[in-house]
Order: sequence, then C-alpha cells, then structure tokens
Amino acid sequence: MTGPTGGADVPANDADVYDAPANDAPANDADANGAGAPAIFPARDRRLQLRPLGSAAAAVTAAFGAGGILLALAGANPLQAYADMFSGTFGSRFDFSLVLVEAAPLLLIGLGLIVAFRARVWNIGAEGQLLTGALAGGAFALYAPIGTRAVMIPAACLAGAAAGGVWGWVVGFLRARWNVNEVISSLLLNYVALRGLDYAIRKPLRDPVGFQPVSQTLPEAARLPDIPGLRVHIGLLIGLGLIPIVAYSMRRTPFGFRTEMMGLNRDATEAAGVNTGRLIMGVMMISGALAGVAGVLQVMGPESRLTGNISPGFGFTAIIVALIARLRPTGVLAASVLIGALTLGGDVIQRTQQVPRVLTLVIQALFVLLLLVADKVGRARR
Amino acid sequence: MNWGAVFGAAAIIPLLNASIRLAVPTGLAAVGESLCQRAGVLNLSLEGMMLSGAYAAFLGAHYSGQPWVGVPAGIGGGVFIGVLMALFSVRLKTEQVINGIALVLLASGLTSFIHVRLFGVTAPERFDPISPLEIPLLGSIPGLGSVVFDQSPLVYLTVALIFGVWWILYRTRYGLAVRAAGDRPAAADAAGLDIDRVRSLAILVSGAMAGLGGAVLVVGQLGLFTQNVTAGRGWVAIALVIFGRWSPLRVAAGAFLFGFTDALQLRIQSASGGIESNVPFEFFQALPYLVTIVVVVVATARARDDAQPEALGVPYVKGARRA
Amino acid sequence: MTPRRRQSPSQLGGDRAGPDLSGPGPVVVMRGITKSFGEVTAVSGTDFDLRQGEIHALLGENGAGKTTLMNILYGLERPDTGVVEIGGESVRLRSAHDAIELGIGMVHQHFQLVPRLSVAENVILGAGGRRRVRLPDLTAVAADIEELGERYGLSVQGSELISDLSVGEQQRVEILRALYLGARVLILDEPTATLSPVEIDQLIEKLRNMARGGTAIVMITHHLDEVMTAADRITVLRAGVDVATVAAGETSPLDLARLMVGREVTVLGEAGEAGEAGESDEVGEAGESDEVGEVRGGTGPVGAAVLTVENLTSASQWGTSDAGFRAFNGVDLVVRAGEIVTVAGVEGNGQAELEAILCGLHHPMSGWIRLGDTDITSFTPRKLLSCGVGFIPSDRYRHGLIGGLSVAENLVYDRIDKAPYGGRFRLDPRAVVARGTELIKQFGIAVRTPTAVASTLSGGNAQKVVLARALRTDLRLLIAAQPTRGLDVGAIEMVWSQLRAQRDAGVAILLITTDLTEVIALSDRCHVIYRGRLTETPLDREAIGMAMGGAGVRAAGPAP
Repeated sequence: MTGPTGGADVPANDADVYDAPANDAPANDADANGAGAPAIFPARDRRLQLRPLGSAAAAVTAAFGAGGILLALAGANPLQAYADMFSGTFGSRFDFSLVLVEAAPLLLIGLGLIVAFRARVWNIGAEGQLLTGALAGGAFALYAPIGTRAVMIPAACLAGAAAGGVWGWVVGFLRARWNVNEVISSLLLNYVALRGLDYAIRKPLRDPVGFQPVSQTLPEAARLPDIPGLRVHIGLLIGLGLIPIVAYSMRRTPFGFRTEMMGLNRDATEAAGVNTGRLIMGVMMISGALAGVAGVLQVMGPESRLTGNISPGFGFTAIIVALIARLRPTGVLAASVLIGALTLGGDVIQRTQQVPRVLTLVIQALFVLLLLVADKVGRARR
Repeated sequence: MNWGAVFGAAAIIPLLNASIRLAVPTGLAAVGESLCQRAGVLNLSLEGMMLSGAYAAFLGAHYSGQPWVGVPAGIGGGVFIGVLMALFSVRLKTEQVINGIALVLLASGLTSFIHVRLFGVTAPERFDPISPLEIPLLGSIPGLGSVVFDQSPLVYLTVALIFGVWWILYRTRYGLAVRAAGDRPAAADAAGLDIDRVRSLAILVSGAMAGLGGAVLVVGQLGLFTQNVTAGRGWVAIALVIFGRWSPLRVAAGAFLFGFTDALQLRIQSASGGIESNVPFEFFQALPYLVTIVVVVVATARARDDAQPEALGVPYVKGARRA
Repeated sequence: MTPRRRQSPSQLGGDRAGPDLSGPGPVVVMRGITKSFGEVTAVSGTDFDLRQGEIHALLGENGAGKTTLMNILYGLERPDTGVVEIGGESVRLRSAHDAIELGIGMVHQHFQLVPRLSVAENVILGAGGRRRVRLPDLTAVAADIEELGERYGLSVQGSELISDLSVGEQQRVEILRALYLGARVLILDEPTATLSPVEIDQLIEKLRNMARGGTAIVMITHHLDEVMTAADRITVLRAGVDVATVAAGETSPLDLARLMVGREVTVLGEAGEAGEAGESDEVGEAGESDEVGEVRGGTGPVGAAVLTVENLTSASQWGTSDAGFRAFNGVDLVVRAGEIVTVAGVEGNGQAELEAILCGLHHPMSGWIRLGDTDITSFTPRKLLSCGVGFIPSDRYRHGLIGGLSVAENLVYDRIDKAPYGGRFRLDPRAVVARGTELIKQFGIAVRTPTAVASTLSGGNAQKVVLARALRTDLRLLIAAQPTRGLDVGAIEMVWSQLRAQRDAGVAILLITTDLTEVIALSDRCHVIYRGRLTETPLDREAIGMAMGGAGVRAAGPAP
C-alpha cells in the first residue's frame, strides 16, 4: 500500500480500466450480499487470464480422464477411442467441416448466453428460444414470396431473431415485473415451444404429401450456401462475425458495463440509476434472439426443412459452452468447436469402439463440475 | 373427437384417479425440494435426482424381477445425485444454479450411457408395475372410494411422506434448524448450529424423495425406462415449490393440480386419434407446463408477504462480512 | 436434554459438569491471545480477566480487536496463540456450543436472531439436546422466557415473531436467550449502538442488577460516557494490544480517550468523544451547547427550499425483517440550500424506509416530494441523479459499491455513458482511470492503483469512494444516510468536513443518522423520527436524546 496518493503514480496512458490487478478475485470471498462472487464470473481483467484459462484446461483434461475410465469400463481402449475421436473429427477437411456445422449453433447460442449469464440472469431456455426462432424463421422462409438469397436469408434470420427474442423477453419480463425465477420460467417455456413446433409441423406447416410430420423442403432461395472451400454453411460466419461485436459491446459500451454491474450487485446498479428491470428484459431478449437465429440457420442449413428434431439439445449444450468459455466472447469459438468435436467424436467411437455416444454427454457435464472444482482449488491456493 | 370421453360423468372418476397417480412423482420431488429450499439450498439438480432414481429403480426391478426392489434402489439413485449436490453446493460452496444444472446433465448422460451400454438399442421387456392396494370396504365406496382408497401402496406412502416432511419442518428440532438456516444462516451459526450439516441433510432428504418419485414413475406406473423418462417433472416440481410458497402441504396441493392437467392432456391425446387428428392436442400437452408457469406467476405476483427463504441460493461462508 | 425448566441464578450452571464459576478467583482469564486474519493481526498478545459480579468494559476504537478477542472467548474464532481459562481450568473452545456449555453467552452487535421465527423458537434454536428429535412445547418455553424476563426486568412475549419486535426488544431477547441457556458470563458487543439514550440508561441499570446477582458482564464499546457510568473496570485495547486495565473510579474520560487513541485527543475527539464524556460527567452543563455550536453553524447564507416533503406516508412491504414499526406517516420536511437538516432516530423507526423512498428505490403510499419546483415523488434513481441529487446510502456495500469493479469504475459508474467517460456505444477507460486517479488523490483514498478491485478497500476508504461519487459538480441535494457508521475517527473527520464544505457551497443536505454526536456536530436543524413520526427538535443533546426514545411524542414509550 503506497498510501493515499499512491494512485497518482500510475501512468494513466498505460492503464486500461479493465486491467484489474492480478488478484481478479477479491481477497475476501464475500461480496456485499454475503454471497461469494462465483469464480465462474471473470473479473474485468484482460491481461490474459492465465489462471482461469489454466483451470479450464485442467477441468477439460480431468473430464477426459474420467471419460477414459468410463470408456475402459465400457470395454473400450480409452487411448484408442480418443485417437479415433481425434482423427474422426480433426483428421480431414470433411470431418472438420462437420465439426464446424455442429459448432455453429453452439457458437451463436453461447454468445447470447454469455450476455445473460454476465448479468447473472440464468437463461436455461435457449432450447425453447431456438425452437421458436426456427419455427418463425422457417415459416417465413416457406411462405415469404422472396426469390433472392440476399434478401431471403437475412429476412428469415430477422424473423427467427424476433421470435426467439420475444420468447426470451417473456422470461425477462416475468423476472423484472414479478421476480419470477428465470431458471424455472425459461425451462418450462422450452416444453411449450417444443409442443408448439410439434403442432405446427403436424398440421399447418406440414408437407401435405409427406407421411412424416415435417414441412416441405425450403425454397432454394432460403437454403444457406456453403462457405467456399468448406462444407460448412455460411451461418458459421454470422457467429464468427458476432464474436467481436459481442466482445466490444460487453467491454466497451455502457450496456456491457451495466450488464456486468448488475451481475455483480443488482441493488447498487439500481441505485446508480440503471433501470435493472429493463436491462434484464434486454439481456434476455438478446440471448433469445441469438438462439432464435441459431434455430433458423439449422432450418435453412443442415435440415433444409422444419422437423421435430431440429435441435438435439443445442440450447443446453450451449450452457456448457458458455461456462467453459468462462463467459468470454472470445472463448466461445474454442469452446463450441471443442464441444462440437466431442459430440461428433461420440458418433465416431460408437462406430469404431461400440461405445454409446451418450458418453460424451457425461464428459460435458463433467467439464462443468470439474471446472467448479478447479476454480475452488485455484482460489484456495492463493 | 369425442369430448365426452374426456369430460363425461363416467370419465371423471378415472380422471381423478389418474390425477393422483400422475401427481405422485412430481409431488414427492416437490415436497422434498421444499425442505431443501427452506434450508437455503436452491437445488436445481432435482430433475437429475428423479432421473437417477428412476433408472436405479428400473435396474433394481429388472434384475431382481421384483418391482418392489425398485423402491429402495430408486431412493439410492436419488441420494447419489444428492451427495454430489451437497458436495458442490455445501462443501465447495459453488454457484448452486450452475452445479445443479450440471448435475441434471450428468444424470441424463449417465443413465442414457448405462442404459445403452446394458441393453443396446432394443428396449428391455416391460415388467408389471406394483399393483394397486385396495383398502377393504373403503375402496368399494362408489365414486370417491376408488379414487382415494384404491391406489398403489406407493401413493399411500407418498401421502405419509408429505405429512412427514411437514412434521419434520414444524415439529422437530431439525426442522427449526432448517428454517433458521434458510433465513439467517449467520444467526443459526452463532446459535451453535452446523449450517453445512443441516443443509447437506436437507439435500439428501430431497434426493431420497426425488429418487423415490422417479422410482414411482418406473416401477409404480410405466414398468419400463426410456431415456429422460422424467420429461421435466423435476423442473415442474421446483416451480411448484414457488407456487406452494415453500409450505409442504401447499406444494403437495400444487402437485395435484399439475397431475390433473397432466391426466387431462393424456386423456385428450388418446381420445383425439393420433397424428392426423384435427385437435391441437399439442396444446394440451403443453398445458401442464403452461399452467405451472401461470400459477407460479400468479402466486409470486399476488403474494402479500415474501415467503421465500431469505438466504435461498446463497452459499453460507462462515465469517464472511457480517453486514 | 429436556427443555430446561427455569432455575434460580445460583442453580444455573450447577447441574452441569463444567467448571465452577462461582469461586473467588477470576471467572475468565485470557493470556497472551494472538489472532491474525491473513496479514492483519487483530489481537496480539493480549491479556484479559473477568471477575464474578463485575461489569468489565472493553474499550477501543473500531478495529482495535475488541470483538475479535470476545469472539475467541465465545468460541467463534480460535486464537493462534494464547490460553483461555474458565473457572480456573484451561479450555479449548471449538464452537459457540462449547462456550454455551461452559456458561458463556454473547449478544452480538448485529443481533443473531431469525426474524421469521418466534422469540421462543429463537431461544431454543441453539439449546442443547441434540438427541431429542421433537421440539419442546413452545408454549412452555415461552412461559419460561417470560418468567425469566420478569425476574430481570426484561419483559418480552415469548410467542411473538422477532420481525415484529423493536430493536430494543430484540436485544432483550438476545440477553434472555443467553441467560436461558445458563450464561454466567455475558458478553455484550456494542449493546448501546442502536438504542436511544433513554433505553441505554435502562439497559445499564438492568445490567447492574444482573451483575449484583453474580453474572460477570463484558461490555464492548467505544463510548466513553457509557463506560464511566456502567463499568466497574475498564480494559483499553489499541491496535490489538491491551494498553491498560483500570478501575472506573480511578480514571477520567480524558485519560481513557488518550489511552484509546494513543496520543493527545484531536479537535474532533474533543467535540465528539471527549465532549460526550464530559457531558455525562457533568450532565446538562451550559458550556456544552456553546462548544458544539462553534463546530456547527454554516457560513454560507441559507437559500431557497431545495427539498420539500409533504405528508409523505409509507407502508413498509419490504424489509419486514428488521423494522419493528413498519411505516411512517404524514412526514413533512423542508431542506433549503446551504443547510444540513437531520432526521435523527433509533434504528427501526422509519429511517430506512425514508431513505429508500428519497433515493427512488421505493414508492410512497401517498404524499409529495419536490425538488425545487419539480415533483420528484415517483422519480427513479436515474432521474434523481440527473436532477442533481446525490446519495450516500446507509448500506454502502449493498447500494453504494460494486466490489468486483475497479475503484476508478466505482467512482464514476453512475455517469458512465456521459462525456468524457463514454457515449451511447462507447466507453473511454482512460478517462475513467484519469478521473479515478484525480478523485483518489483529492479524497485521499488509500489504494495502490485506480484499477484495483474495490472489494479490497477498507470501510473508511469504501465510504470515501461513495462520497466522492456522490459529490458531483452539479450537486443540489445530498441525501446522506448513516455517513459515518462503522468508520474510524480519521474517516469520520473527513466525511464531516466534506459535508460541511458542501453545505457551505450551497448544497442542501438531508442527513439521516442514528448517531447523536453526529447530529450535534453537523445539523443546522434537527427532526427526530420515532415510530414513523417526525418531530422538529431543538438542537440540544438532551432534548434530541429524549425524543429519540419517544419521550414527549407519545406517553407510552417502549415497554420497560
């Protein structure tokens, strides 16, 4: 402690406000409300987060280790299984393309979840927001008389974003207006959205000549082209393009600043003149809109029609993506590729090692749990 | 579609009967959760506890050939997730929302993994669920008699457990400790209570009850296990705790309401005639969830006093800034 | 264990195997106690002893280690080194349970009661008998407590909820709980902090009675006047070291103040602490008000009304837990430019609700609030801030500081979208740091760098951050609630001088405080709030003190 005037010694030009000193986690574990600020929240520290990155890496490694034990129990050779997994996902341009296709929705939803989670608004309803987005965007693409891709694709994305955004906003509204726990409301709305989609493709949007409850194939104008040189639809580019935008918004705009403020201490944020109710609705809307876009892209890309299984649970998997990324927009890309590869790797080892692919779900859950452990161990050491 | 089959006079008794049956798994989990939340732990792993219990019950019943074996097995399955929940939220004091959700994913992954590993893609045979136990005389009262007194023994057990939790919460020293730990853990700590122990035990009770709820679903009703068989009942149960203002008996009443809408939608679905039906039965499928959301909103918005435990979801760190 | 039936004081403790606390030697001896928290040593090599039947004051400034020392005796903290002997036997206290078993009771400064439980439930909460599953009969427990209360003149209703009790009543419950659990040693941490002067006198009288009955009492305090009236012996702690133990009859307030501070007392000390002590020595002496009058008195002219509150009424649907009286009624108040108007009162009489409404965090049931000519009754904090209203919230960690942000960010976070800090879609971190650096220097905030996390700040420095943010350039009205609560002398001095400077610069200041010394030191006019009613009171210690206890407002004060 250099005393009262010590602060003056710091050259202002080299300092970035967000470069908090190395002890990003406050020394006393408790914040104003007596709750420990969870380590899952990164402090506003940009001087590369070696420790959080380290604990994320340690958790991922340990989860793979635990997965190896399960693999062995299931009668497979863990090393061989992981080798298969790796070569089956990163081994060829084609396989890697599939990974990226899987990662694209996770990337988008994960970015949205980061915004909500940083505000300490626990949106567990991304799955439902994705489905409503897919339904609205898909219906738009089916029936809008638009013949050019350049108009159709953005318009359908907007329709999806609007629907997903509204689905998310409802949750935010209930929380802001009546303090209804957002975990519960967002989760229950997933089931409502799922049933709504079921109905839509069974009756009004159903392909009249088909036997299955699915819609007609989308018109050509609503089909996403591939990125040149890869077999990945251009939806991935939307996600990639959003990374810097979300990163900038969270770090360098009053909106991002206030979102983070609210996540750290809602009472003080309200007292500082921020309308926290509106902010909650806002972050939920953004979160839902991004999930909605992810939904439309699935419809216009890999699925090419509305079906009942647009999403194998992207909305839940993206929670894991956001947490592994330590709620950092820049970390979402790596996290979603990791999870995408893991999911496809599950298919690979099911083929080569006769191990159920759901093993990868276990590994994903272990990522999160071990991440929590790694954070605690990291803190205790300090 | 024949609406008389749903709402006709002859259909009412079976409907009520089914309501009770469908309310039991959710109700067990919800009442256990209410104890847990009164102790200050927002246990979001409930769905995972139910699922784990359901699967353990299935394994027990399948390998022993006795559906009854599934009951203790299911309790054990729920407690297994409960131990992990207690480890994270009480011992490591991590963010309860996150570890709760992670445990649901873990339970979902683990049960599916083991199931596929053991049985492959072909579903194992159904077994006969535990049969109803008609209470002599009372059960033959026309109408209501069969609703109340001709149910699976598990239903009677559930009713006993619901009152049991009420009794624990309001009539025992442990219940007093639970209420104190959920409202003012620092005060309870200063009075010499071990907050971690009180909360851990509440989580384990919650795990046991949710596990039993899962077991009821499998060995008491379906006679089989399918992946994610609990279908969000655990989440509904958490919502019912809010609806019931953290009071076990009101929570149980909420569970009956949920059971009723669930029975209704099943009836409508089966009466509507499948995939080509013009009845939007999906709306009724969504009804239990919609009703739950609505009642939670109404209960929260209309509540005059804030019944939510003050320290709900806040990890208790001894000696944290006393403010 | 069966629910403990009431026993006479001499029987209490006699039925257990614990050490004999009625022997002739000291009942408690603490030798060479050291306790560190991280790098901070709270208590270092301190000795302390306590005799049966005495009131022993533990005196010292904030942070001197008084509470830590007593937490060790009560088993809440374990000492790094040192010995604790109770009734002549060396003991190792692992938890409060152990201490309670040995006949030690403690009443914390912040009461450790569960608001939604009844008095009886709170009392038996920690009572032994873990092996018993069922709760004892609560009606019988309640009757026992009431009987015990009557014996010590501490009347309570055993079946009432804690949330319905006033602060004074809650304190009685705390004391009764300790006695019910068989305490022969009673530790009271700052027992007078939230009481009105009348209640303080009553409390001291009751403590003396208890001491005469054989109970040994430790009273932690930093108020010299209470020490002089209540204590038999006084131990002074300074920076974790026991600097002296003296008999009350052989010392003077000035000596004690010197021992506490470690140097000749400052101007503030004379106006505040020592002045307070002087007054209690010679109650009602005429010189007192003159002396304080010099400290007070604004220099600038008093201007037009800035804040006008008319017939403001509030139900308290929030915060039902701590307030005994849940509303205030028909409050009228005017604060003009260039004056400090005080709303003084004891905790739980409506101050918190008034603060929340004036800060825009809650809405009143009826009535008007005007800023100049603008109706601001239903303004949000955002609008209030933009009209030139500044806040110093009473709970600075809840409403005034965000621990996870840097100090610089905390200094400007309420105007982050304004130039030069940012715009609609833009933030300028350099401007934030530059302004932070400036304010840190100006307010003497002790922090290594402006980018340090605010949760590392000490209480005084945290309050300086809150103050620095509140004192914006366009300030017209400042709402200062408990601005010096929990601060040490240096920080108090700084806050007071800043408030006076703002007043002299023409800002209207509404001061909401429970601290009588602060009222006298700062106010131009004073209102006392008691049970939600506001009474204008002359600036006289005695009169304000009486009014804070309800004298003259309503015939029946709190039940004795």
